[in-house]
Amino acid sequence: MTAAKSDTAVTGDEPVTMMEYFMSLTYTDVVSPPVVRFREALMEGRLIAQQCPKCHLVYVPPKGYCPIDTIELDERNEIQLADRGVVTNYTIVTPVQYYGQKETEPFVRASILLDPPGGMLILQDILDIPTDEVRAGMRVEAVWAKPGERNVDEVGNRSGSALEGSLRGFRPTGEPDVPADSFSDKVW
Amino acid sequence: MCSTRAVTELQATTHTIEFPYTRTLGPVIGPFLTGLRDGRILGIRCRDRVLVPPQEYDPETGDALEPPLVEVGPAGTVETWAWVSEPTRKHPLDRPFAFALVKLDGADTAMVHAVDAGSIDAMRTGMRVTPRWRAERKGRIDDIECFVPEGGAA
Amino acid sequence: MASSLKDVAIIGYAQARNERQAQQTEVQFLFPVINEALEMSKIPRREIGFTCAGSCDYLSGQTFAFVMNLEAVGAWPPITESHVEMDGAWALYEAWVRLQHEDIDTALVFGSGKSSPGVPAEIYPLQTDPYTLTPLGVDPVSFAALQARALLDAGKVTERQMAEIAARSRRDAMKNPYAQVTGEFDVDELLAQPYVTAPLRKHDLPPISDGACAVVLATADKAREVCERPAWIRGIDHRIEAHQPGLRDLTVSTSTRLAAEGAGVGDRPVEVAELSATFTHQEPILREALGLGDDVAVNPSGGALAANPVMAVGLARIAEAAKQIVEGGRSRTLGHATSGMCLQQNLVCVLEGDS
Repeated sequence: MTAAKSDTAVTGDEPVTMMEYFMSLTYTDVVSPPVVRFREALMEGRLIAQQCPKCHLVYVPPKGYCPIDTIELDERNEIQLADRGVVTNYTIVTPVQYYGQKETEPFVRASILLDPPGGMLILQDILDIPTDEVRAGMRVEAVWAKPGERNVDEVGNRSGSALEGSLRGFRPTGEPDVPADSFSDKVW
Repeated sequence: MCSTRAVTELQATTHTIEFPYTRTLGPVIGPFLTGLRDGRILGIRCRDRVLVPPQEYDPETGDALEPPLVEVGPAGTVETWAWVSEPTRKHPLDRPFAFALVKLDGADTAMVHAVDAGSIDAMRTGMRVTPRWRAERKGRIDDIECFVPEGGAA
Repeated sequence: MASSLKDVAIIGYAQARNERQAQQTEVQFLFPVINEALEMSKIPRREIGFTCAGSCDYLSGQTFAFVMNLEAVGAWPPITESHVEMDGAWALYEAWVRLQHEDIDTALVFGSGKSSPGVPAEIYPLQTDPYTLTPLGVDPVSFAALQARALLDAGKVTERQMAEIAARSRRDAMKNPYAQVTGEFDVDELLAQPYVTAPLRKHDLPPISDGACAVVLATADKAREVCERPAWIRGIDHRIEAHQPGLRDLTVSTSTRLAAEGAGVGDRPVEVAELSATFTHQEPILREALGLGDDVAVNPSGGALAANPVMAVGLARIAEAAKQIVEGGRSRTLGHATSGMCLQQNLVCVLEGDS
């Protein structure tokens, strides 16, 4: 039997010039040991970090090594951080409605230099203030989710991972602004 | 309250990356996929051979290859095959099937596609297959849903 | 190779213990691997002239994951580095090329990857022809099975021989502290198992592995200064074939043969060959392409069948081939790396020790 061409050939007039393809990949990351401890602390309303014994840089979230001195860090290098500090840098993002975008209104992402012993949190939301009043030098304090309402499901190994399940963001404290030259070397 | 989680219990996070791609096709792939939409399989002449799927450049000399394309098949011969016992969600069929290199009549090279043979026992190198076309086609390689044994199951 | 080329040797190497699923991040387990390779090389980190890495962001599931990996190198003060979205073996090739210039005499090379977080069967189809292959979701095991069937049909291998390669590799791997799948397996019991994707059974497939490998290179004077028995790179070459499997003869590896000729494999007998035969049937294809006789020991480390840290596995073969010289007293070995489906692209590195 000879093979027939398709009986239902649909011949369009226009040539095909484009092809769509929707790509979707899912990854499951095992949470690394320093981040396991970071998550536990977040559930308790605490921020922890690792501090390098040589250069004294503070790594939050903790990553298990100091990339400057190339030494491994562990629980012995763990320190408790303050949960208030100053906005060193910020941007107001006007969301473009590309595929996957969840935001519709402009929002703030700020870098917060925490009070001693230090540490910098990036990509934080600034709450309780219109976006156009956010400024570098503004004193802020953490806004924690209520103890029974915290989750750390989104807190993973990847840098800048979302902490909002437990640490919702930062809000102004009302204290006087800090002059820029006091943090100009820690802007990120 | 402190966590008393066992050290050996592994926590994990999940994330999904998605991109919607829209690709232009150009003067060779465009006509090839247009042919599929129209229920025809097309190849391209490359010196003394017909390449399927059509290539934009001669794989040996690098010279550009140009339309017009030439019709091949629709029937062909299985040159090699693999029986997929547990299809993934990205595979063309959701029951066990074969991937195969099918050399269509009139073509000098084989193309990869699926063969819905029903069982591994129905597959053999050298068997003849014909395309099962989708009723609604868009100009994609899976406008051919799969190939099937010529004349029905063995 | 032309005699005007500078002599480059491998003087240090290290690997991670390969795991099915590492709890550490890629950077965390890469960290000690780089430290160990540097320590073995006796080159202070700050003296390394060039760093080159091989990794794949799609494997990691994060854009610029390869930039994060530099935290394991210690890139402060700033360093000169490069990256290939390839197995670390190609990073080694780039470093070897870079060392041909007069201005530096050492290079650090590494490859790393975690295959555990993603679904390999869904990631690799995205690297194939987007018009004719990706939409069909053809996965690496299916491609390999097409090649295995062709080889069986051509009478160039039997399923029993494939199982014997699997058993031999995992038995040899028992001596390799970095290997992941090791043990004594009975060939008849292996053959009694069902196919995964016929004609391949589970033992014909590589494991899914998280791992890393680092290698330190040095030019002649520096190598002699710090290393008792450097593994000299006598030849290195890589070739690639067409992408569409239908354009190729899957029962031979023409690109491996050409790379072997370019690297001068046939100039003198090879004692040990570490091959990136990810599937059992690929070993006889590579043996033939490289012209290796039965007297050549293939994959004493267990090869890719014992541990398959994608992006590091090829570099690890070269490191194992170097180890045979540096620590094992061998005189001439080779390491092979591959990329793409069905051995589409192949790199061959010939190593020699001073006699």
